Amino acid sequence: MNETIETIGRDLGRMLEALAGLLFVSIIVPLVWGEYYAIPALIVSGSIPFAIGYFFRTRFREATRPGKLHGMIIAATGWFCVAVFGSVPFLLIAWTVEIGLPLLETPSQTGTLAAFTNPLNALFESMSGFTGTGLTMTDNEEVLPRTLQWWRSFSEWVGGVGVIVLTTAILARPGSGSLTLYESEARSERIHPSIVSTVQTIWWIFILFTFVSILLLWTAGMPIWGAINHGMTGLSTGGFSITDNSIATYDSAAIDFALLPVMLLGSIAFPVHYLILQGDLRNLYADLQTRWVFIYMSVGTFALTALVYASDTYDSLFAAFRYGSFQFVSAATCAGFQTAVDTTNVALGRWPAQAQLTVTFGMIVGGAAGSTVGGIKLIRVLTLLKGIRFRITDVFYPETAVRRLKINGRRLDEREMRQEFEEAAIIGLLWFIFLGIGMFVLLLILPQGEYTLENIIFEVASAQGNVGLSAGITGPESLPTLGKVVFLFNMWIGRLEIIPVLVTLRAVFRRGGIYE
Amino acid sequence: MTVSDLPVVGQLLESGAEDRVFDGLLLIGPVLIVGIAILGRSVITTGIATTYVLFFVAYILYLGVRS
Repeated sequence: MNETIETIGRDLGRMLEALAGLLFVSIIVPLVWGEYYAIPALIVSGSIPFAIGYFFRTRFREATRPGKLHGMIIAATGWFCVAVFGSVPFLLIAWTVEIGLPLLETPSQTGTLAAFTNPLNALFESMSGFTGTGLTMTDNEEVLPRTLQWWRSFSEWVGGVGVIVLTTAILARPGSGSLTLYESEARSERIHPSIVSTVQTIWWIFILFTFVSILLLWTAGMPIWGAINHGMTGLSTGGFSITDNSIATYDSAAIDFALLPVMLLGSIAFPVHYLILQGDLRNLYADLQTRWVFIYMSVGTFALTALVYASDTYDSLFAAFRYGSFQFVSAATCAGFQTAVDTTNVALGRWPAQAQLTVTFGMIVGGAAGSTVGGIKLIRVLTLLKGIRFRITDVFYPETAVRRLKINGRRLDEREMRQEFEEAAIIGLLWFIFLGIGMFVLLLILPQGEYTLENIIFEVASAQGNVGLSAGITGPESLPTLGKVVFLFNMWIGRLEIIPVLVTLRAVFRRGGIYE
Repeated sequence: MTVSDLPVVGQLLESGAEDRVFDGLLLIGPVLIVGIAILGRSVITTGIATTYVLFFVAYILYLGVRS
């Protein structure tokens, strides 16, 4: 057996075993809420990945340690497999209720739950959860069983930690953008020297912040079940809600404003959080990404408020600020919570085009690398801007001049600069190529005249940026099958920052002899 | 036997920012949330939850000022 496959197989096995553990732990929810009919579905859903994972792990236990190539393929295939097996609870619980198994007191079927009897809808929901996207195949989350409400939130929460670990501990390499997290002049080492202890610390911070977020939201007036779920999905910037109209259901300015710091916590790099928890508050402004998170959110909020107020979308300046600030922060942190919906005010899909495109811009850029956000990430945009300025000003210096580009305290030499700039440019270009492909497919398959171009750009950017804001296109009926498949791919590549997925696809194609 | 010897809890205490106050907040958090779920919203539970959040913020600021 090929050594690479053995290494990948063993680590995939471990991931599937961990997924099984999460499913078994979730049995507490139906026990507490008396949804006993969901327990067999969870047991079966956990047993399948456990059996496969156990087989792979024991079969390949002697495999060599993973390298950079392995890391990328494990991350890409692992995320995909976890999404596939994570969809089984949706499917089985929906079918348990649909069939009405004897001895299990199943409730009556709802249209919302019935949507998950379609495996593609279940997979979409699971992929949306584990990638922290938040686009949903439900039309009314309130009527879902508590077990599935929990599983959706839990999947986003775990996916949130996963992406921090991915960018800070596994894929951090020269040119990845993530290395900037560690190699500034102020801090020349990782959170901890080993990956294992770094991951433990990330979990520690994430759990502590989750408790703080839940209690903050509850204090602001949210019921405790809502606070638990929204605290988890807000911090992981996933954006799944347990209510029909997302956060608009509560129609509370206090809750809207309480969610802003929760989403911002999730959009700041976790190595910076670690330093701040040690009292090094300078990082709030000294760290390039963190500084720009605040600048970017402030400028975006101001612009969006001005646009929706000037276009008479809202009557008062306060309402424009309330909805403008929430929606921009929700988009730029890639949380995807919505307060602008039709039942309480003006839906996002009916905002003026320039306002929708401002939100779209927020979704594409995203927040800090090393956090739970999606998008291209601020550090790459800043690297591109600084690199462009560096190249232009280069013309004004003599050829013999030795110049260095400074990013976040790092003084890059010519080779390092080329690596960082190339990576940022490649990811930026690929991002727009896949955005274009998604838009092209949606333009082909959606009914003519039903959605505007800005609606379509908005929706694809939301899927690929792992945001979850919707202009109304995504839904079990409204989005055609091909659209769901394309969005599955958009969400997957968006979470993995494209390159690992392309590396994996290349490896798969080469293996199968499709080319080369 | 100390708290650090407990499984999972011991690992958590060893992992974080190596600060016993934050470790304490981490351990109290779930107990407080379960308590709120059982007791519901009252002046006392609201007061405790508010204190928890404010203490968390104030302690970070204190650490920042001290360093």
